[in-house]
Amino acid sequence: MMGIDRDQVRMVIALFVVASVAATLLALTDIVTREPIAEAQRQALHRALAQVLPAHSNDPQNDVLEVDKDGSIVQVYPAKDKLGQLTGLAWEVVAPDGYAGSIRILTGFKPDGRLNAIRVTSHKETPGLGDWIVKDSDWLANFVARNLDDTDWRVKKDGGDFDQFTGATITPRAVVKAVKKSLEFFKERNQLILQRLTEQHALPASAAEKSTHGVKQ
Amino acid sequence: MTKSEIFSDGFWHNNAIFAQLLGMCPLLGVTTSAENGFWMGAATLLVLLGSNLVVSMVRGVIPKNVRIPAYITIIAAFVTVVGMAMNAWMHEMYMILGLFIPLIVVNCAILGRAEAFASKNSVVDSVVDALAVSAGFTFALVLLGGVRELFGQGELFGFSVFGENYPDMLMFILPPGAFIALGFILAGVNLINRQLKVRADHQKAEDLAAEVEAVEVIS
Repeated sequence: MMGIDRDQVRMVIALFVVASVAATLLALTDIVTREPIAEAQRQALHRALAQVLPAHSNDPQNDVLEVDKDGSIVQVYPAKDKLGQLTGLAWEVVAPDGYAGSIRILTGFKPDGRLNAIRVTSHKETPGLGDWIVKDSDWLANFVARNLDDTDWRVKKDGGDFDQFTGATITPRAVVKAVKKSLEFFKERNQLILQRLTEQHALPASAAEKSTHGVKQ
Repeated sequence: MTKSEIFSDGFWHNNAIFAQLLGMCPLLGVTTSAENGFWMGAATLLVLLGSNLVVSMVRGVIPKNVRIPAYITIIAAFVTVVGMAMNAWMHEMYMILGLFIPLIVVNCAILGRAEAFASKNSVVDSVVDALAVSAGFTFALVLLGGVRELFGQGELFGFSVFGENYPDMLMFILPPGAFIALGFILAGVNLINRQLKVRADHQKAEDLAAEVEAVEVIS
C-alpha cells in the first residue's frame, strides 16, 4: 500500500515539475516576444496601408479612428498630407463567405468616395486557384477609381463588372461583395468620419501652432 | 552505435518520411513550395532539438507511467516557443506556415524520437539524433516542395525555371499532387535502397569468396 502511494506521489511531482517549467518558459517567451510581435504586425499593416492609400506624410496608424459599424468597431486609418489635409481613408473589411473561411481585405479610398486600391491581407483560399486575389495585379487594378454608383458590384458570371477566375468563382464573388459593403460603409459614415477627423485635427494642430510661435519668439 | 551510425540512421535508413512515413500532416500540408518546406523543416529542427535534449536529460527521473504526458508537455512548450519567436521575427513566413506550426506538437516523428531514442540514450547522442532526423525530415520536405513547385508553377525557390509561359499544373499545388509526388519520391527512394542493398550483397559475397580462397590457400 505504501509503495503504491509513493509511486503516485512521484508521478504527480514529476508532472507538476514538468508543467511548471514549461509554463515558466512560455511566460518568459511571451514577455520577450510580445513587443516584437506587435511591431511586426504594425509593420505588416504599415506596408499594406502604404499600398492602398494615396500619398501621405502622416502615420495613418497613429491617427486611427474607431468608428462604430452595426455594433462592431472599425479601425479607420486616415491619410493626410503635410498640411493635415485629408488625402484618403482606409479600413479593413472581412468577407466571411470565402471558399475557405473569411478573407480580410484592406480597402483604401480617395476623399471623394472612389476606391484608391484594395489589398487582401489574409485568406485561406486554395493556393493556385483562389489565391489569385492576392497575386493578380490586373484583377486588383480593376477596382481602382470605382465607386458605388458607376459599377455593377458583381462578378461577370452574375452579370456584373468583375472577372472571375477559371474554376474559382466563389472567391472573387466574396471579395467583390465585401468591397461593395466597404463602399456602402463609406457612404453611410463619411460625414461622421470627416467630423471626427476635424475634431482630432483641431487639438494637436493648435498645440503645434503654439510650439512654432514659441520657436519664433 | 557510433555518432555517424546514429546520423545515417536518422537521416536516411530510418528517415521519418521515407522509411517511417511519420509527420505526413506537415509534409503534405505545407509543401506547396520548396521554401515553405525548408522553413517548416527548420521549425521542426528547433523543436526536436529542444525536446530530445530535455527528454534525454530527464531520462530515468520521469516515472514510466506518466512519461507520455510529460514528453507531450515538453514538446508542446517548445512548439509554442518556436511559434511565438517565428511570429515575432519572421512574421511573413509565420503568416504562411502559422496554421501548421502548432500541429508540430502532434507530429509523431517528434514524440517517436523522444520515446524511442532520447529516453534511452545520452544527451550528446540524442542531440546528434535530433539533428539527423530533422535534417532528413527537412530534406524530404524540400524535395517534395521542390517537385510540387517545379511542376505546379514552373519555379524553384521562387525563381522561374520553365519561363513565363509555363502552363501551371494546378494539380501539383493541390493536395492530390502532394500524394502523387510523394508516391513517386517513395518509389525512387526504394529504388535507391534496392541498388544499395544489391551493391552491399555483392560486396559481402566478394568478401566471403576472398575469405574462402584465403582459407583454402592456408590449408
